[in-house]
Amino acid sequence: MNNRLVAAISDLDEGEAVSLVKELLNEGVDPIAILASCQEGMMQVGKRFENAEYFISDLMMAAEIFKTATAPLETRISAGGGTRKKGTIVFGTVKGDIHNIGKDIVIGLLRAAGYDVLDLGTDVPAQRFVDAASETGARIVGLSGLLTIAYEAMKETRAALDAAGLDVKVMIGGGPMTASVKEYVGADGWGINAQSAVTLANQWTEAQDQGLYGSNESKGAGIGVDHG
Amino acid sequence: MDEGCVYEKRLSRIEQAIRLEPVDRCPVVYSGVAFSPKYMGMSIASFCEDPQVAADVTIAAMDRIGGFDGINAPATGRITPALATLWLSRVGVPGRDLPSDSLWQVREEEIMTHADYDTIIEKGWRGFLAGYMPKVIDPKELKEFIDWSQSMTVPMLQRYREHDYVVMCGGLGSIPFEHFCGGRSMEKFYFDLYRIPDKVQAAMDAAFPEMIDATIGVAKLSGRPGVWLGGWRAASGLLAPKLWDHFVWPYYLRFANALVNAGLTPVLHWDQDWTRDLVRLQELPSKKCILNPDGMTDMEEFKKLAGDRMAMMGDVPASLLSTGTPDDVHVYVRKLVSLFNSTGLIISSGCDIPIDAKPENVRAMVDAAHESG
Repeated sequence: MNNRLVAAISDLDEGEAVSLVKELLNEGVDPIAILASCQEGMMQVGKRFENAEYFISDLMMAAEIFKTATAPLETRISAGGGTRKKGTIVFGTVKGDIHNIGKDIVIGLLRAAGYDVLDLGTDVPAQRFVDAASETGARIVGLSGLLTIAYEAMKETRAALDAAGLDVKVMIGGGPMTASVKEYVGADGWGINAQSAVTLANQWTEAQDQGLYGSNESKGAGIGVDHG
Repeated sequence: MDEGCVYEKRLSRIEQAIRLEPVDRCPVVYSGVAFSPKYMGMSIASFCEDPQVAADVTIAAMDRIGGFDGINAPATGRITPALATLWLSRVGVPGRDLPSDSLWQVREEEIMTHADYDTIIEKGWRGFLAGYMPKVIDPKELKEFIDWSQSMTVPMLQRYREHDYVVMCGGLGSIPFEHFCGGRSMEKFYFDLYRIPDKVQAAMDAAFPEMIDATIGVAKLSGRPGVWLGGWRAASGLLAPKLWDHFVWPYYLRFANALVNAGLTPVLHWDQDWTRDLVRLQELPSKKCILNPDGMTDMEEFKKLAGDRMAMMGDVPASLLSTGTPDDVHVYVRKLVSLFNSTGLIISSGCDIPIDAKPENVRAMVDAAHESG
């Protein structure tokens, strides 16, 4: 782990993070090891958020720094046959809602955490979630919405996923989401902020790895962020 | 009580609440934009098309629910051009860009550029808008909106007066942060705050005096003292403290002081969670302002930190009005009434009553307020 790079990411020092990645690559350091340092920096960002030292704006900036700093690593890792993915998540803003900010924040954080996220965009019909989950084999589906009219679309999407026989966990998020909405929709998880989407995905993925995927350990986390 | 006294009684009740004086019961104020046509069986497209029709259906919805003392900030023109000017964004219009019964939607896209900060610094706010607004709204449509608003604001607000409803806010505004954030898109603007803070601040400072003057001008024209001063992406729950302290609070403080000095009442319409920074409300002129949160800000903290200095209008959450039961709403309002001891409290929805609110829940909000005496 490169402590300077970890600190640059976690302290939101964009210039330092970008130049350090280039420097390490030039020195011949394994891109996967560099990426691991960046991910560790993001882990620390997440911890600072959970400790109320960082806020949504910091999370967004951290994800942007991560994206910029790690851009030179992607092709080298792919070319070398390496992988950094924890699994695939299908994500989108549900039918009838065109808001993308909350969705984009969460996707940025999930990617930084090592997930391969298929972004379906906004105003996404239930069947597209079904098709995407089916085609990718994703075990997690994220539904975003800012408007209260998203409740029905989320409920319909959950029902469509179930009707298709897909064994997926569904997380919901966005400004008006609450525990009661989660129950109404039939989702497996929800929450008040973007970082908890990562926590939730990690919990589900770890449970899956341990053969506990069917458990209901999903409460209290989620992906809500108000978009104004 | 004869009809002539109804308005005066309602007005007095609201004014007493603002001054934190005892009231016979908590006033209850309507804040329902899209809910009105939905509830009355009108298409959202029709509501958006004709501001006269929009006002009529709003009043009809208030009459049908019954029991309201007033309305927060009624539209004095078509809603979608108003949103375009507030957000500096394109707005999807039902019946034109969207299905006729869908809700209008502000489009999240980067239209304002870094170069626009320089334009604002060089040309001022109005100079910038002259070149920018055609990017988000047809100039003819914008002109019609402005002309209609200027000529019809007073008669439109009079319509509410004729129905004995007190109009809280005749003017509307926000701080530079929100306008810029809408035009730049949230993500890009937040990054600007980290990457080019000095440029952003210079543009804010260049634009701000004109924003204040324009808002005061409209408010004075309306004849109503309240000024809806919005905030959503500037919320404490979203921004790092160093950013909030620098780009948000100084502008609200200055705006509020300017409004109060002009004899107006700032209504801080704050969506999202502002709990972290509620202590700053102590810097505002006492008993001259109203906090209008959306259900996410902690009301116990507000009561503790600023409840002896300003009234609260709200904050029955949209989700409760959409998915809860009348009993849930009663319980929520009773908790508010108990917390505030019926003082300095104006019952209303948190932000707007959502389009899919259950009418029985809206009625329950009113009933609970009437039982607060």
